[in-house]
Amino acid sequence: MAGERTAQVWAWIAAAREGNAPVSLAMLCLAAAGWLGVDGASVTAVGGPAVSEPLSATDELAARLEELLFTTGEGPGVEGPGVEDFRFGSPVLIPDLAPVTARWPGFAPAAMAAGARALFAFPLQAGAIRAGVLSLYRAEPGPLTPQQLADALVFADIALQLLLDSHAGISASADYRPLDGLSDSRAEVYQATGMISVQLGVSLEEALVRLRAHAFAISTPLDDVADDVVSRTLRFHPDSDPDPDLNPQT
Amino acid sequence: MLMAATVDERLAQAFVELADTLVAGYDLMEFLQTLTDRCVKLLEVDAAGLLLADSRGVLRVVAASTEQARVVELFQIQNDEGPCLDCYRTGQAVIVSDIRSDRAGERWPRFAAAAREMGYAGVHAIPMRLRDQVIGTLNLFKVVPDGLNPAVVVAATALVDVATIGILQERAVHQQEVVAAQLQVALNSRVIIEQAKGVLAERLRLSPDEAFVLLRRYARDHNHPLTELSGDVIRGTARISGGR
Repeated sequence: MAGERTAQVWAWIAAAREGNAPVSLAMLCLAAAGWLGVDGASVTAVGGPAVSEPLSATDELAARLEELLFTTGEGPGVEGPGVEDFRFGSPVLIPDLAPVTARWPGFAPAAMAAGARALFAFPLQAGAIRAGVLSLYRAEPGPLTPQQLADALVFADIALQLLLDSHAGISASADYRPLDGLSDSRAEVYQATGMISVQLGVSLEEALVRLRAHAFAISTPLDDVADDVVSRTLRFHPDSDPDPDLNPQT
Repeated sequence: MLMAATVDERLAQAFVELADTLVAGYDLMEFLQTLTDRCVKLLEVDAAGLLLADSRGVLRVVAASTEQARVVELFQIQNDEGPCLDCYRTGQAVIVSDIRSDRAGERWPRFAAAAREMGYAGVHAIPMRLRDQVIGTLNLFKVVPDGLNPAVVVAATALVDVATIGILQERAVHQQEVVAAQLQVALNSRVIIEQAKGVLAERLRLSPDEAFVLLRRYARDHNHPLTELSGDVIRGTARISGGR
């Protein structure tokens, strides 16, 4: 069933936890490197069209690749093959950098010199919300297997959830569970996100952060809270109070 | 075979129309939306929904002939049980002429009850195939208890093949990862539309369903691709009026 894969990936990530420490993006990167047949992973936040902030990397090479993407303005998800689809939520998969050196004269030779041959970039995205990128690299060329690709998409989905929830100050402690795929969410979750962004005058990303934070705060499934927003029994108010008022319609 | 001839004629018309849509830079969401609309007329059903499987194997609605939330839910709940899930798993068409029958009730107790409550009797699922891989299903609901005659099954299969071509575009579809990437684009585009429905609904005090009708009408009237327009609505750069 659908939920099994999310549960499996979450178990891999949680296993990287030491003691009772909350699950972090660093653990997610470690688990991704361990289970996806790659040598390293990193997560970068995207704050705008040109701003990106490295959040976590398993090793120096993973960090170096992020730096190269930034300094050369080339590479997977930045410019070149697949970048259009990347903007629409599709991963960019480069099983071998050697044939694409001409396309990325600044990035590819430098990345190969640093020791990377295969690169895979997964947008952390939900519709128009683009929060960051999960990047994987391997020293040897070769594609991800279909199974690894499917698992990597689940890793990306969980990374997005961790990133959004960290913005709301929610730490992934022992009782934290990612939703069964943010992207599996019902249409109402996305409709509610759009509605809240107008109610609060904030971005969609911020609206989704607030929606999730509220669901966590009242220990209610996200779907149920979204239904209340769509049916207009719940409104969010633009004040400092993190919790919206309830306006039951009678 | 009067019926078959009629279906053939209408099918030919629909293909011409869909081929016209498949020009360079076409909007996938508009294309799939048009396709599900045509399914309703052409296949003589009351509702049609196109579902794609994501990387977890979860079936998600990418286009439907109606945005009515309860009907969309009826497509979606088949991730637990229902003709769609069986069709997706087996790769075979599932034709249920009457979901109210005892047999259907035993096979899919929850789905059958929900479909019955919505007033549907005929429930059919056609697989979207790419060689040996099933990438999604076309789900058809009919109010009157009825199967699908062979000519209609052929037409439905042809429409599903066109949908597959539209989603995968001209890409080298022999690559598994390209297929996965294109499916991801289609699924994410649908999310953008849902977000735009919410933004518009709140601005104009409409229900999300009403917001979608408005969004789509505006896209057509202004020759503006639906996904791009949705992005503009989210960014606040499209001025759509017409609330209640």
